[in-house]
Amino acid sequence: MKFLYYCAFLLLVIKLCACSAPAVDTSTVSVRWTHDPESLDPLLYLSSGNSTQAINLLYSSLIGVDYVKQVKVPLLAEALPTMRYTDSLTFITYRLRDEAVWDDGQPVLAKDVAFTLAVMNCPELPNETARAQFSFIEQVQFDSTDSRRFTFVCQGRSPEYEFSSGDFPILPAHIFDPKGSLYKIPLVKLRNAALAQSAAVQTFVQRYQQAQLAHHPMRLPGCGPYRLQKWEPGRYIVFQHKANWWGNRVTPTPVQLQAYPRTISFEIIPDENTALLAFRRGQVDVYPRMPAREFDRLRQSANAKKFAFFTSNSYETLTAGFNVRRPTLHDRLTRQALTKLFDIPALIAGTQLGYADRSVGLISTRQKEFYNDSLPLPSYDPAAAIALLRQAGWRRQPAGAWQRTTATGKTQRLALRFSYRTGEPAYEATALQFREAAATIGIPVALLPTERSLLDAQMKAGEVDMFLRSIGGNPTEFNFAPILHSGYIASGNFNAFGTPSSDALIEELAAAESFPRKRQLLRRFQKMMQEESPFVVLYFFRYRLAADARFTGLQVSGLKPGYNVMTIRPKQANAG
Amino acid sequence: MGNRGLSRSSCLAFVWLGLVALSAAVVTWLPLLYSPATVDLYGIDQPPLTASHWLGTDTYGRDVLAMLLFGARTVFLISFPVALAGTMLGVALGGIAGFWGNYRAKFSPLQYGIVGTLLSFLLGYFFYWAVGIVGLLCTGILWAIFKQRQRQLPLPLDSLVLGLIAVVTSIPRLILVLTLAAVQSPSVGRLFLILLLTYWVLPAQLVRTELLRIRELPYVEAAYAAGLPPFWVLLRHALPNAWQSVITMMPLSVASLIGLETTLSFLGVGLPPSVASWGRLLAAAQQSPTDWWLIVIPGLVLLFTTLSLRQISKQIAAWQRTPNVTR
Amino acid sequence: MLRYLLLRLLRLVLAVWLIVSGIFLLSRLLSPSAALLPFATGDLVLSTSSVQEQHVAEKRLIHRLGLDLPVFYTTPAPNGKSWQWHGARNQYQRWLSQLLRGNLGYSYRDGQAVTSLLTNALAYTLPLTVSAALLVVGLSVWLSVYMATHARFRRYVLSGLYVLDAIPLFVLGLLLLLLLANPETLALFPAYGLGGERELIEATWLMRVGSHVYHLVLPVLCLVLVSLPTLVVQLDATLQQEQRTDYATTARAKGLPEPAVVRWHTFRNALLPTITQLTNLLPSLVAGAVVVEVIFALPGMGRLLADAAARHDYPVVVGGVLLTALVRLLAQALADWLYFLADPRIRLRA
Repeated sequence: MKFLYYCAFLLLVIKLCACSAPAVDTSTVSVRWTHDPESLDPLLYLSSGNSTQAINLLYSSLIGVDYVKQVKVPLLAEALPTMRYTDSLTFITYRLRDEAVWDDGQPVLAKDVAFTLAVMNCPELPNETARAQFSFIEQVQFDSTDSRRFTFVCQGRSPEYEFSSGDFPILPAHIFDPKGSLYKIPLVKLRNAALAQSAAVQTFVQRYQQAQLAHHPMRLPGCGPYRLQKWEPGRYIVFQHKANWWGNRVTPTPVQLQAYPRTISFEIIPDENTALLAFRRGQVDVYPRMPAREFDRLRQSANAKKFAFFTSNSYETLTAGFNVRRPTLHDRLTRQALTKLFDIPALIAGTQLGYADRSVGLISTRQKEFYNDSLPLPSYDPAAAIALLRQAGWRRQPAGAWQRTTATGKTQRLALRFSYRTGEPAYEATALQFREAAATIGIPVALLPTERSLLDAQMKAGEVDMFLRSIGGNPTEFNFAPILHSGYIASGNFNAFGTPSSDALIEELAAAESFPRKRQLLRRFQKMMQEESPFVVLYFFRYRLAADARFTGLQVSGLKPGYNVMTIRPKQANAG
Repeated sequence: MGNRGLSRSSCLAFVWLGLVALSAAVVTWLPLLYSPATVDLYGIDQPPLTASHWLGTDTYGRDVLAMLLFGARTVFLISFPVALAGTMLGVALGGIAGFWGNYRAKFSPLQYGIVGTLLSFLLGYFFYWAVGIVGLLCTGILWAIFKQRQRQLPLPLDSLVLGLIAVVTSIPRLILVLTLAAVQSPSVGRLFLILLLTYWVLPAQLVRTELLRIRELPYVEAAYAAGLPPFWVLLRHALPNAWQSVITMMPLSVASLIGLETTLSFLGVGLPPSVASWGRLLAAAQQSPTDWWLIVIPGLVLLFTTLSLRQISKQIAAWQRTPNVTR
Repeated sequence: MLRYLLLRLLRLVLAVWLIVSGIFLLSRLLSPSAALLPFATGDLVLSTSSVQEQHVAEKRLIHRLGLDLPVFYTTPAPNGKSWQWHGARNQYQRWLSQLLRGNLGYSYRDGQAVTSLLTNALAYTLPLTVSAALLVVGLSVWLSVYMATHARFRRYVLSGLYVLDAIPLFVLGLLLLLLLANPETLALFPAYGLGGERELIEATWLMRVGSHVYHLVLPVLCLVLVSLPTLVVQLDATLQQEQRTDYATTARAKGLPEPAVVRWHTFRNALLPTITQLTNLLPSLVAGAVVVEVIFALPGMGRLLADAAARHDYPVVVGGVLLTALVRLLAQALADWLYFLADPRIRLRA
């Protein structure tokens, strides 16, 4: 008994000790993240969504995004680049802003851009992904009169070059390479590993690796609005606004250079229920990608007034894909039949609670100018599926299974294996519904929930039959080659789909520059995809975000990450 | 004192376990409205006593009643067999290690030679023929050396079993399952094997320590003096006293195995989704924590099963203690 | 005595080396596509660079991680019939020489040294698991002694423990959160983490410790409640067995009160089988508890190893297993030594 009293007393003392309520700092914004960014090395920024968001706070790139209007806007550059085309080359000219300076006062010049590209192509550094992404930039030409103007020389011609050429963070040259020995080496020479064994490269590589930028990005600070204040790996990461950031001096301040919060902290909470509790207790201010159930429940609860709720239409779709290489799935009629076994309205009601939009293809219905509304939506129709299977040559056996004989005389049995990522409740429900529907017409389906990286490896190697996959999209760029072109079968084209006509259409679409041409080609593309059915688009996600009601300026949109953390500010401060 | 009848609690326990076993056996023939894999997407998160779902539905709309009944089958497919087989394996290995230790199991060089030759052939056949040749050579050389001594050599059984235990327990079980799940999708058979290979350790350790103590007791010496062979002494005299603690532990282990399967479902690497289990119901509670029926109903079923198992083991222990006196 | 200890030490080192080598070789053979890691993190990156460029990038990555060397000194040749000798340039040799210098390798994910990753994770795990273990041991000892002396409460306590045992760990964590950290019921304890830095900037050392302990109350409670039933039931069963022995009857016949009988006679003998379970706790102290760490957002060993296992980050997994194996073998040695001390009869036949 006495022991229990002591315990209670001890707990009380501890609670008193620890319970010093901090003054609510109105200019601090805390956002919930599900996992640690792991690395803030700017060259690896392509690896995960969280690290991209963090790196965009620390570093600036030439071109940024306006989340409200959903267009690309110039960030470090003064204006969008001017393009000039010759037979085989593209020349992209940028001019940097006059106000842009580094933390130590030195101006941001063309040599910094050249330095960044040199680092991207340097051997022995962990820049494989970046190098593959920006290999189209062959050379940087400096302007002799203006140290802020430069031109990229790119191989070939593509409408993507305009914006992706400005899509990487710019690093300062004078900290690690003051004499300029690295960026003066031509990029082609750097890419050739044998030629790049010079002393200058070796010393630079050593210096870069010793800096360990993955965990100490401030050793090579960027010109972004924030600096890394504290990072407890796995727990939280805090950014602080730079007091005299150059963006404040640009008047009038365009939206892409606005940075209101004095401190931004990202809390890393993997479990959804814990995150919800933290949000309701006010320890987290912004909760992006809230699960649909909790979203509805919180909206209808008693203290819903304390929070603001947003939904946005995203460009991310959930698709069910078929591996066209499989002999059973080789012909389009079988695939079309199988697409009729997904009960999409039920899936939207059950897994997304209505927070999703249907579509005929990879273009969202929200993009009215490109959406092909003359095509029918995929419907749930087992009878039509049976008719299509019969048309494809399948015959139902007395035992219930489907069989057909090929031209060479072999018998094929229709049995499928459905692979999907573990840890996603929506995927599992979708797979279960398909299995149920297929069972009613006699097709046995085996479900294979697989761990993510293993699934990726299997999909690349073509070892899956059917798979669930979420494909991210873009409102302005329509290059479907990485997922549907036959040249990408060993990498992103998991369906292994590609006919000469589809390849030609995709290539034309990627090269199209005028709006009417894009529109015409996209309509043809959607029609072709529905006929061929290498995949079926189940729905477009709608992102849900909840935030503390005292904030405004979240700029909730369908573009990843779904909100703009730099423009979040308390409502009272918004005078105009 | 010598009453071998059943107490009331034991009757209840047997009835409950009988119910579980019965549902496991006949569930495929029962006229259930839904199968455990049917997702009623328009009726998700229904509380109990709704129209067609008597016990409600889970996050995906799966019928709780169907999952309970089919889950009983999984318990008999996985948890019970693992506990039983694991205990038997553990008792066998622990018994050998504890009873004979490092110095008491003596064999002649000829017996070693025969076993060595057999092993070499097996290894050579299944792995690589060069390994088999090497094995044969080693056996030959060792046999030649030991034959000179004309003595009986002890086989260090205790060290071997302890070494095996050390290897098995070095890897945390969750890590092992997660690593293997990252390499191949889990299935019922694979899960059974992994659980079995990691479960046998605790019974083995318990039995071993008990036997270390028991083999020094006078009645064991008396049994030897009476001329009984060592194996008989182990089986009929030493082990029955040693496995008391193991039997007490078994019902808790069945529950912990079901709990382990639940944790694996929580982490996303449990049984394939077409196999229903009580653990899957509990794991679904994580997505919808306000669905109290997803926690309470399988929790109660689990509780009753555990209590029944414990009661059974208590009854068995009581039977063992009382002499079978006929009057 | 000294010879015995030296031999034990030698066996320990040999065992650790064999186990970890085996795990290393297994991990290398299990995943030839470990190079997919950077491409498979986060969302799948739809790179517009051509397949050829991606292959080159992958090859470069494999070379940088040292995965293009042969795995062991000798491996089966591709034609399957003979074995190739590779000499000293192989992954195993590299790894072993690194290990002997104290370097456990670098994570595939971000290149951090595995030793620093493990140390940081241990800094979060050890306070949690050690305090939970001490509490569990203390509570179970007290409870079993209490049940032996107050026989009326035994049924209720045991039933309560069985109810507790039926609840899986994450459900327990969820219930604790919903009951004790919920603004709608009782918000007595924090929901996650260990407290933000901004609240502790002006805190004294004592306040920091207090805050740390305050944040750990719920996770520790979770772990204690989950490990308590097994230990108590075991201890209670053996204690009950000892209570029925002849020497206990003699003690009672002498006139000793029941608490004294338990404390001076039966409890010591009941401890023997429990030593196994107590020493089995030790490796799990280091391995952490994955579920608790995920629910309460603590970046400990359990979460680190689970994430690494799922992502094929084998240096981290091998490092973690090495640590666990070491602790496991030390625990076994400790258990044997404790038996040696506790039961004189075992000493005779050692």
